[in-house]
Amino acid sequence: MKFDTRTLVLMAIAIVINIVVGQLAVWVKLPLYVDAVGTVLVAILAGPIAGAVAGVLTNVIWGLVSDPVAMAFFPVSLVIGLLAGFLAKAGWFRTIGKTVVSGIVIGIISTIVAVPIIVYMFGGVTGAGTDFATAYMVAVGTELINSVAIANLATNLVDKILTCVIAWIIVSRMPGRFTASFPFYQKANA
Amino acid sequence: MIGQPGPHAGKSLLYVPGDSFIHRLNPLTKLVGLLWLAATTFMLPPEGMAAIFVAALAFGVIAGAGRAFVRRLLFTLLPFAIALFVIHGLLIERADTIDYGLFSLSADGLGYMGRILVRVAALLTVSMLFVTTTHPAILLKALDSHGVPPGIAYLISSPLLLLEPFSTRARAIRDAQQARGLDLNGSWRARAKAFPALLIPLVTLALSDLDHRASVLDGRAFRARPFRVVLDAPEDRPYERWLRRTLLVALPLQIGLAAWL
Repeated sequence: MKFDTRTLVLMAIAIVINIVVGQLAVWVKLPLYVDAVGTVLVAILAGPIAGAVAGVLTNVIWGLVSDPVAMAFFPVSLVIGLLAGFLAKAGWFRTIGKTVVSGIVIGIISTIVAVPIIVYMFGGVTGAGTDFATAYMVAVGTELINSVAIANLATNLVDKILTCVIAWIIVSRMPGRFTASFPFYQKANA
Repeated sequence: MIGQPGPHAGKSLLYVPGDSFIHRLNPLTKLVGLLWLAATTFMLPPEGMAAIFVAALAFGVIAGAGRAFVRRLLFTLLPFAIALFVIHGLLIERADTIDYGLFSLSADGLGYMGRILVRVAALLTVSMLFVTTTHPAILLKALDSHGVPPGIAYLISSPLLLLEPFSTRARAIRDAQQARGLDLNGSWRARAKAFPALLIPLVTLALSDLDHRASVLDGRAFRARPFRVVLDAPEDRPYERWLRRTLLVALPLQIGLAAWL
């Protein structure tokens, strides 16, 4: 599959947005990642393959620039890009209500992909705030894999709903002449 | 396209400039070596993982990146070690858990924690060895000289080039919004409201550049030919080519053997 130049530039910008948004989350001191806004944006405008490529490259470049551990989570970004693209194609990013549902679907499925990586590669911990919730669940007698799943599902749901809503707000605010040049978006919203 | 690593190379990257043996290896050899070592780590007992960790750390120190290694290892492994100790050492009940009154400890849990920690440490040091000794510009030249299409090279190089200006732009937006009364230190509600005020201008500004960037690229006909010719391609010695081929053949064989046994 060959992307046109505008899609290539959009993907490059989206990768940078994904990485820089992490810095914004630190500034507002909120337990958010929102590091897939760019990926979802590309998926809505240019489709699932472009979204998946942007997602995978985000983790690879993040790994090359500052955090090699990020590379291990590239399958999660791949799934987010693919899912967001397929949902956009099916019209699930047309209204705010549908966008929230898309966020829930992406949150659940990306957690299913992330949990085995966290449990089998990293022993159930991520070195982030969710470890407190995991530790609490384990302390009250829940199995490790279920504790990781519940702790990550809770944060991932909020995070992915927010990610999808932000991406939807941005796309719906863009002028028509901007979105008109993305055939995938035009077809999905026809 | 990024040029040669300059005096400020590594400012926003993990790359540490140098002229060591590892620095001089072709980036593709290091990339294949990284893949092979990462896959091998999962097939080895803890002693083997520890050997990879020590070897990669030693090569990192020889390459002059010892400080970057120690900083990254502490930054990544310390929270990991604490969380693993609490969950596997203290909280998960195992057959050998011994109650010490205030807390209970499991030797098996600590052993499991050690195995995970040494694996993460091995993976981290191996990838650190690659990123601290390989400037992305040289990696791209190696990819270009091996016939990687310009579109893929652009997708890897452009974000690396854009990171610094985007970070600067994000700081400018933060300062401008704070001057207009944006509260980054208030209640969580105030901070939650602040988030879109920082994010949306950053993204919309970035997207407004899109047409201009695409026109410039098309104007330069950057994809007129299927691949680019590199004038100063990184040296690719015959033994490196053979090493890469050997590792690429060994990789699926090892995975197959590990799955079979």
